[in-house]
Amino acid sequence: MRAFAAGFRLQLRIIRSDPDYFMPLVPVPLFAVAFLAIIEHAGRRDLAEYALMAPVLIALWALSLSASGEIVQGDRWSGTLEPGVASPSSFPAVVLGRVFAVTSVALFAFVEVWIVGRLLFGIPIEIHHPTAFVLTVLASSAAMAGTATIMAALFVLARSARTFQNSLSYPFYVLGGVLVPVSLLPDWLEPLSAGVFLSWSAGLLRDTLQPDAIRDVPLRLGVILGLGVLGFAAGQLLLHRILRRVRTSGELAAA
Amino acid sequence: MSGLRHTLHVLALAARNGFLDYSVTFTWKTWLSGWYLRVLAQVVFFALMGRLLGSTEQVHYLLLGNAVMLAALGSLFAVAGTTWERRAGTLPLLVASPSSPVVVFVGRSTWALVDGFLSSLGALFVVAPLFDLGLPWPRALLIPLLVALVGASAYALGTFLGGLVLRAMSTRNVVANVAWTTILAIGGVNVPVDFYPRPVEWFAHALPLTHGLQAIRDLVGGAPLATLLPNVALELAVGTAWLALALLTFDRLAEGGRRDGSIEFGG
Repeated sequence: MRAFAAGFRLQLRIIRSDPDYFMPLVPVPLFAVAFLAIIEHAGRRDLAEYALMAPVLIALWALSLSASGEIVQGDRWSGTLEPGVASPSSFPAVVLGRVFAVTSVALFAFVEVWIVGRLLFGIPIEIHHPTAFVLTVLASSAAMAGTATIMAALFVLARSARTFQNSLSYPFYVLGGVLVPVSLLPDWLEPLSAGVFLSWSAGLLRDTLQPDAIRDVPLRLGVILGLGVLGFAAGQLLLHRILRRVRTSGELAAA
Repeated sequence: MSGLRHTLHVLALAARNGFLDYSVTFTWKTWLSGWYLRVLAQVVFFALMGRLLGSTEQVHYLLLGNAVMLAALGSLFAVAGTTWERRAGTLPLLVASPSSPVVVFVGRSTWALVDGFLSSLGALFVVAPLFDLGLPWPRALLIPLLVALVGASAYALGTFLGGLVLRAMSTRNVVANVAWTTILAIGGVNVPVDFYPRPVEWFAHALPLTHGLQAIRDLVGGAPLATLLPNVALELAVGTAWLALALLTFDRLAEGGRRDGSIEFGG
């Protein structure tokens, strides 16, 4: 836990000193405009929660995946990977803490979308179930951090991972029901979709904006967290493989 | 060598250089399994929004708009492409050479133009049948021409923006992202441009894609071919204007480092 907290604090300091980390948040209002314009033009304000939550989830996914992909690779280039690995703290826990910090930054997207919805379209984000909303945001951030740990490891392990960085967006937005419910996808895609934490997060977040009672909140939160833990376990396994490989090959060396 | 021949020679060499760089990033297999899968999903993503709205007309509107959008999106990769020379440390050599840097950079990112063109058509002709969007034959033969026009127009904007980001390289991705999401939001991709207030609409008319996409919509909708010409001419005019702006400013921006001492050989 201390390693996680230290990683979190370190990354927050890095983010504070480097405004480039906030750059992916710049297009978020434009996505919000695009989605809100679609429902407004169609006269379907009843679907506002879809247009409001989609840019937030897109920002969460895009920022976390792109920034976390650079974490281990950045350490490697700057020569800080070696002392990090040599220290007694759990290296994957430090990486998870750092990824979680990046994920937290993505939550600023909520503010951006709220401003666009309210000021440009007169559509506010009305949270009818605040407790469920906060818990879903926290669980989704944790799941995102766990999933993004895989990318942190893959970027070092596979040279081609960077090639796919740009490609890991829309396929997951479709599978994750980010803009439209997964029930609109073909039946054969639904089992795949259930394995993507975004699909659970998107559904639950949208439900918190509706006045109706929400069903199965603990179960749905549990699935989001469970998928995040699975992601972290996979990322941890990959990180161990990387460390074993660079130790064996002698690539790990004090600068 | 005459001036024009020299320029074309430099363009061809720069284009070849760019394609070689691109071939290191993508093979056919990784392009198809990575990028192409993404662009298919991008068009499906928006088309499904139409399905959520419960309107076949909206499905087709969103599908067509977002498929053509890919030509602009691909071409706008030229924004980041121009910074590769600076990162590689070869910009000082280009500035010092007798050729104009803008000629090199116009050629350097033509891979982006081709990528956008193939992505757009590859997505349109595959996703359209999945959502029952008819592409009438033989009018559909004109779609690639119009998509190429949209791509070229966006490429001119990308080259202009590429010149700007040479002076602030860390902004290259955000500039490209803001450019394409602006077009996505107001360029008639998802809703008609007249949905927005008048000043926004005017701005949309100065962006690449807006007029070209309208021409493609009219073509697919069965309008007489002659009625497409005004939008084709406007798209051409917009692209030419952005290219002129790029030609006027690029060399000055690229050579700015010589004046203020910020030009470097390091990556």
